[in-house]
This record gives sequence, structure tokens and C-alpha cells, in this order.
Amino acid sequence: MTVQGSISFVVGEEKKLTDVLSESDVMPLLKSVVGAGLDLAAIVDTAGEPLWFFAPGETRPGSMLPLGAAQECRPIMLSGDTVGRVHLSAGGEIDPALLRFLARVVGDAVNSMVQTNLKRMMVTELHTKVVQMSYDELLEKNRQLSASEQKYRELAEHLEVRVQDRTAELKQAYARMLQQEKMASVGQLAAGMAHEINNPLSFVLSNLKTLEKYVSRFTELAGFYEEQVAQAGSDAVTRCLQAKRSELKIDFILDDLGDLFTQSHAGAERVKKILSDLRGFSHIDDAEHSQLDVNAEIERTLSVLSSEIPGDAEITRELAEIPLVVCRGALLCQAFLNIIRNAIQVKPHGLRLRIRTALHANDHITIVFKDNGPGIAPDIQARIFEPFFTTHEVGSGMGMGLKVAYDAVTSCCGTITLSSKEGQGAAFVITLPINGRCNE
Amino acid sequence: MIEYDTEAGVMVIKLVYYGPALSGKTTNLMCLHDLLPCGGRGNLMVLDTARERTIYFDLLPFFITAPSGLRIKVKVFTVPGQVKHDATRKAVLQRADGVAFIADSQVRENLNNATSFENLEQNLALVGLDPDKLPLVIQYNKRDLPGITPEDEIRSLWRPSGVPLFFASALEGWGVVDTFECLLRVTYASLDGRYCLSESHGLSAQAFTCGLTCPEVSPGLQESSL
Ligand SMILES: Nc1nc2c(ncn2[C@@H]2O[C@H](COP(=O)(O)OP(=O)(O)OP(=O)(O)O)[C@@H](O)[C@H]2O)c(=O)[nH]1
Ligand SMILES: [Mg+2]
Repeated sequence: MTVQGSISFVVGEEKKLTDVLSESDVMPLLKSVVGAGLDLAAIVDTAGEPLWFFAPGETRPGSMLPLGAAQECRPIMLSGDTVGRVHLSAGGEIDPALLRFLARVVGDAVNSMVQTNLKRMMVTELHTKVVQMSYDELLEKNRQLSASEQKYRELAEHLEVRVQDRTAELKQAYARMLQQEKMASVGQLAAGMAHEINNPLSFVLSNLKTLEKYVSRFTELAGFYEEQVAQAGSDAVTRCLQAKRSELKIDFILDDLGDLFTQSHAGAERVKKILSDLRGFSHIDDAEHSQLDVNAEIERTLSVLSSEIPGDAEITRELAEIPLVVCRGALLCQAFLNIIRNAIQVKPHGLRLRIRTALHANDHITIVFKDNGPGIAPDIQARIFEPFFTTHEVGSGMGMGLKVAYDAVTSCCGTITLSSKEGQGAAFVITLPINGRCNE
Repeated sequence: MIEYDTEAGVMVIKLVYYGPALSGKTTNLMCLHDLLPCGGRGNLMVLDTARERTIYFDLLPFFITAPSGLRIKVKVFTVPGQVKHDATRKAVLQRADGVAFIADSQVRENLNNATSFENLEQNLALVGLDPDKLPLVIQYNKRDLPGITPEDEIRSLWRPSGVPLFFASALEGWGVVDTFECLLRVTYASLDGRYCLSESHGLSAQAFTCGLTCPEVSPGLQESSL
């Protein structure tokens, strides 16, 4: 855990005498002892080499061997080891007892200095060591912290992206939900209205029939009267009757009556069919997943859309015999409706739409909607199934149409693809599995 | 190992007395200092203490010279047992060659013993020493006191670990040298494996232990004093 550039101590490391003593520690001592009448005072290492010395008039002690003079040595101990000696020498005149005494004093002084300095050094080193270890630990902790901070930052950054993704997803889901809810409520409203209209319509229809019957009886009665009058031979009454008859334009009325009844009948029947298409389209009466005749659903969708289909549009159907598929009818019809409506919107005039169904390998069916519209540019082809994506003018739709179609088809385990070349129309191909149960 | 300088022929070994506060680590060293002849050792160095609590460490150095001429210094340290001096404990523990764990025998100290031992294992790992391989002996001190955990209990507690166990009273001066001798033996065994003390330096386990504890009769010291 040692950091580069830091000082490294090991508690208990060996010390040399020169580590523990400095010149400023010993020189005053050596000088003062020489002042007491000595020739030389020195501190030598274990090999006898002088580390520090004081000898008046000499720059080098030459050899430590005294020139026939008196000398005294005292060992210097460093944590129990002899690491050097105090060396004193003097000319012959000095009292040997004094020399011994001085040697003891200097020796004790140096030894206690060594002791004190050593302790001080060890404490300092220990402090340094502790500080350094704490510092290293701090560095390490800091490193770990910044590493984890980095991790958190990345996490946070990713989180932001993920939150954005999620938000977009949620927004889309919400929009789809809105749209589906709207569809559902429109469907429900339509179905409800259809139901409400159906009852009065039924008695309108049946009353119409009764009325026709009644009217025919009146006609018959009128004819009978005329016949009887003619047989009675009263010309005046006959003339009077004929005048009234032509005044009331009864001949025309009798002629028109049949047409009126036929047209009213046809009209009411049409209303009835529209209502049933509406109910069928909304699949309000169906279970979630039901067996669907795709061809019939296409017809139904076209019939619901009939008012939106421009007069000059040419819609051709090539509907092959295909088996029933299990699907959510409302969604599928919605998908068809949105695709057809999209085709109408992109080509309001002269639309030619071909709708073709086919069975493939007894395994899946395809439904192709091919139009002669402006086509879809390659750069936006990938985006048309996105919600809110629209090339139509603002206000003409929410841009949800194809997204809903996409969701509808995928929820039936199908796929929807687009092939289009700009300027050459677009073809939407829906593929639905026949046996595939939807696991949605 | 503090230092092994083959050129200078010096080996400096570190032994550490570890344990909870007031278990008698410093007293152990003082006792060794008093009981062992001064021929093979230096003086006990007690760094600043605060009311007899160790705040840095104590140091008692021993010496022996192997027949090969290798000078071996054994520096015996105590650590401060107080919880707050953990950084110092770690610093002292660094590069230890052997540890004597001094436990306090008093029943009420059992938890402190356990905590301190855990702390030892943690710190060993922190300074890069393997607690399972490091030479270790355990001493239950203060056997002279009442209210101490019975020997049987302590023995059965430590038996599974296989760590040598000693009972002592550093105050009365018994068990202390035994503990130290054992620490020297297990440390020697570990060092001999790595540094070939007997093969390359002619220093046997017996010579090592005796040389450090009773230098007067140690053949190693006699040779070196020639
Ligand atoms: N009765 C008894 N007291 C002891 C014994 N050993 C040590 N003590 C006492 O316990 C107290 C603490 O001893 P120390 O040696 O300073 O303890 P330490 O382990 O160095 O403590 P720290 O330095 O704080 O970690 C002292 O008062 C000792 O006299 C023993 O064997 N018996
Ligand atoms: Mg202590």
C-alpha cells in the first residue's frame, strides 16, 4: 500500500550512529572536553574511523593511535549494540584519573544523547509511519470512493438515458391507451347507438310493410268503387270521379307508390346493414379473441368507411379462400381501417387500392393493401410505425394510425411490413398465423 | 523481517507482543529484561507512556551471532493495547516475524481478548501477513489474580487452533520466559525454512533459543566472543 514518492519506514529499522547523532549534538561536547586540557576528543565508529573529532592545531587526526599519550575509550551503545566509541587522548601531563573521569562523563553524555535522540526519532518515525499509513489508507479509500463515484455517475448517466427512454415509452403507451380508449368509446357509442336505432328501425320496417299492405287495400278499394260506379251507369258520377282522380293525380301516385315503398324499404334495410356493420366492426359482442373471417372483416371495414371513400376511388378486392384466424376482431378491423384510411388520405383523387388476401403453406395468411399513392420515402419508412409520426398536415390526425395498425397486428402475433418506392405507391403486407394463438 | 543484509551479515528479526489493553505486554518485556542475563540483550526502551499505558511501543533488543558469523538481532516490541491506537499497532506489526498474544486471564476480560485477537488477524492481513502462517504463541497472563477463566476452559478453547498456549504471571515472573522461548522456537522454525539458519549458518534451534535466553551457556555466543 506504499504510494509512490512517499517515505517508507519500518518500525524498528536499524540505525547507524550518524543517523542518531549530528555534528551539532557532539561538537560542543568534544570542544569543551578538549578545553579541559586534552589533545584530542573524537567519536569513532566500530572500525575506529573518526566520525567527529576536535583536536586543536590538527585538521586530521591522522591515526587514532595516540603518539605515546594517555588515552581513554568509552563504548557508544545503540539499542544494545556497540556502534562506536568516545575516544579521548592527552599528552603525558594529564592525570589518568581525570582522563577516566572525563571519558565517563563524555561517554555518558553521548550515550544519553543517543538514547534520547533514538527515542525521538522512533517516535517521529512512528508518527510519520502512522500518518503515512493513514494517508495511504485515505488515498486508497479515496481511490475506491472515486471509483464508486465513477460507477455511480455512469449509473446516473445511464439512468438519465433510461429514464428518458422509459418516459418516451410511457408517453407512447399512454398515447396508445388514449387512442384505444377513444376507439373503444367510439365503438361503444356506435354500438350503443346502433342498438338504440335498431329498435325504432325495426318497427319502421315492419310498419312500412304493413303500410304497403294497407295502401294496396285502399288502392284495391278505390278501383272497386270505380268499377261499381261504372257498372251503375252514372256518367255524371263517373265524370265527377275521374275529374277528382286527375285533380288528385291519383294515377301518378299509384305509379309512384310502388317506387316509394321499394326505396323506403331499401333505405331502411341499408340503415339496418350499416348498423350491423358498425356493431360488427366494433366487435362489441365478441370475446377478446375470436375466430375471424378476414375477408368478411375487410368487407365490413370498407362498408364502414364507405362515406369516406371518394367517388373516383377504385377499390379492388382479390379475396382468396382463407381459413378463419384467431384474433381480436376490433383491433384487426382498426388496423385495416387505418391502412385504408391512410391510403385515402395520401391520394384523395384517383386512388386505386388493391386488397388481396392469400393463404400460404396452410400456415399463415397475408393481406396486402397496395395503393397508387405517392409512396413513402426511404428515410421515413422505418419511422411510420412510430406513434405521433405523421406526414399529414397537422390536424388531420394524431399520427397514431399506422402505430395502432402495427400494435393491432403484433397483438395478433402477426407482422406488418411496408414496401414502398417513392412515387410508386406503397404496399402494406400483414401476415397472420393461422394456428398461432396469441399469447398477449 | 526488518532487515536481512547478507553482505553485512546482519539479520534483524521482529517479534511483537500483541493483546488487549492492560493485559501485561509491557510487564512481560520488563520481566524478560529482569530475568534474562544482560549478555545477549540491550536495554528495554520504553517510549513515552501515559500513566503506564503504552502509547507508542516498547522495545527490547536481543542479539546472537550464528557460527557462520551472521549477526542476528531480535527486536521484541509491544504494541499499545488501547483500541484508539490501532494505527500504531498496524505500524508496529508491519514485517513481524512472530507474535505473542498476551491475553488477560480475568473472566471479565474475555470479550476484550477476543476483540483484540480479531483485531490482530485483521491487522496482519492489512499489513500483508498471513495469520495462518505467522508464528504465534498465546499467553494467558495474570494467573495470580482471582476471578480468572479456568485453565481447562482456555485449553479447550484454543486446542483446535493448535497454537502453543502458556499460562503466566508477569507480575510474579513465571511463564514469561517459557512464552518467549516458545515464540523463539516457532519463529526459528519458520525462519529456518526460508533462510536455512541451520544449514547455511550452523545455527540450530536449540542454539538460537538458548543463545537468546541464556547467553552464558550458549555455544553461539561463546564462539562469537572469541
Ligand atoms: N496481578 C497481575 N497484574 C499484572 C500482571 N501483568 C501485568 N499486570 C498489571 O497490569 C497493568 C497493566 O500492565 P501493562 O504491562 O502496562 O499492560 P499493557 O498490556 O502493556 O497495556 P497497554 O500498554 O495499555 O496495552 C499493570 O498495572 C501491571 O502491573 C500479572 O501477571 N498479574
Ligand atoms: Mg504497554
